Amino acid sequence: MYCIRKVTEDVTWIGADDRRLAMFEGVYSVPKGVSYNSYLLLDEKAVLFDTVDKAVGRVFFENLAHVLAGRPLEYVIVQHMEPDHSATLAELLLRHPETEVVCSEKSAMMIGQFFSEDYSRRIRIVKEGETLSAGKHQLTFYSAPMVHWPEVMVTYDHADKILFSADAFGTFGALNGAVFADEMDFFGDYLDEARRYYANIIGKYSLPVQQLLKKAAGLDIAMVCPLHGPVWRKDFAAYLEKYRKWSAYEPEEAGVMIAYASIYGNTENAANILACRLSEKGVRTVMFDVSVTPASEIIAAAFKWSHLVFAAPTYNMGVFVTMDALLRDLAAHAIQNRTVMILENGSWAPASGKLMREILGGLKGVTILEETLTLKSSLRENQMEELFAAADVIAASVEAGKSGISQAEA
Amino acid sequence: MKYVCSYCGYVYDEEAGDPKNGIAPGTKWEDVPEDWVCPICGAPKEAFIAQ
Repeated sequence: MYCIRKVTEDVTWIGADDRRLAMFEGVYSVPKGVSYNSYLLLDEKAVLFDTVDKAVGRVFFENLAHVLAGRPLEYVIVQHMEPDHSATLAELLLRHPETEVVCSEKSAMMIGQFFSEDYSRRIRIVKEGETLSAGKHQLTFYSAPMVHWPEVMVTYDHADKILFSADAFGTFGALNGAVFADEMDFFGDYLDEARRYYANIIGKYSLPVQQLLKKAAGLDIAMVCPLHGPVWRKDFAAYLEKYRKWSAYEPEEAGVMIAYASIYGNTENAANILACRLSEKGVRTVMFDVSVTPASEIIAAAFKWSHLVFAAPTYNMGVFVTMDALLRDLAAHAIQNRTVMILENGSWAPASGKLMREILGGLKGVTILEETLTLKSSLRENQMEELFAAADVIAASVEAGKSGISQAEA
Repeated sequence: MKYVCSYCGYVYDEEAGDPKNGIAPGTKWEDVPEDWVCPICGAPKEAFIAQ
């Protein structure tokens, strides 16, 4: 049975939630589910904005048929060719032989790569700034390369002042009936998932995000319709400010994220003592065991906090595996503007500190504090002073950075 | 000199330029217009690093 929501008089949400998916993109756990949004505009012409993942294809086609009610579907606008938005495109074109695909040149190339059928005669390639008329709705296309694939474009509807924003402003988390952000406690219940989505999926491509924000600033936007997560019709400025901050690699909070790997609990013990000392000094601190918490959550936290401590043992002459993977993942996401402290452990030849420094060394604006605390198997009583001194250095640096963070919020 | 796109690995070689997109062979990196983008992924010039 169809399950739809009206977005405006002429636009209907015909997407769906998936709460059974274990791993989004095969790598990101989605404990709160995810939504695949698709929007149908009914004007003189019927225009569909993207399709959905194959997992929710059945209800999507029921939704589409219900809203179309026998009308032809003149256009499907493909803003993003990633299969979570395009896997059902081939079936759509089979069910609707009248439909023309409207997309960027790179999307047309990818359609040829993802599907075996030749759709080239049914594709209309549009360029930056080009407008398609659906009747009273004039739709203008803007390219948004690498947000977060090269073929991406977004669409502005002049009549309803809607920005169809593709993956930009999207979030993990099923909608659970609330299609609009103002129908849920977004900043309470969804912000962590939005940050995790941003940091892991788009985080590396912040220059293109900032270019998109500049383009969007020139438009009179009343509503934002992303491909995942809720539609924005109220309080968008607060979310936009988060995007501005994330895409500038500015920390949101002054405080410390401690991520540690520990084989027998000795590195963890030192990390715990450091965290206690920081809390005693009034420094907000969060901790993750990198062998337990999924990397995507730690990467999201690294985008949130101003100071990062990485503590890990030496393992096979390298950095302990889970920390090695995390740091390389973090470096691949090109985090910037953070202050980092390293804590290493090794029972006979500690080397993880030097190696962790090497992985993070090239990152822009990342300062690695000179102090590296070295444990030999476990923390000794005579090292407590050194650990406390390290806590003092971090606490002073957090305090010094606070003014910058509050200024950015003002 | 060569410059690599940090998003997709495309290499801009000053000697070869990018004639398909109006950049003549021999065009120095600093003379490539600021609105030129990576021909593979559309990344802005700022996303390139010297090889």
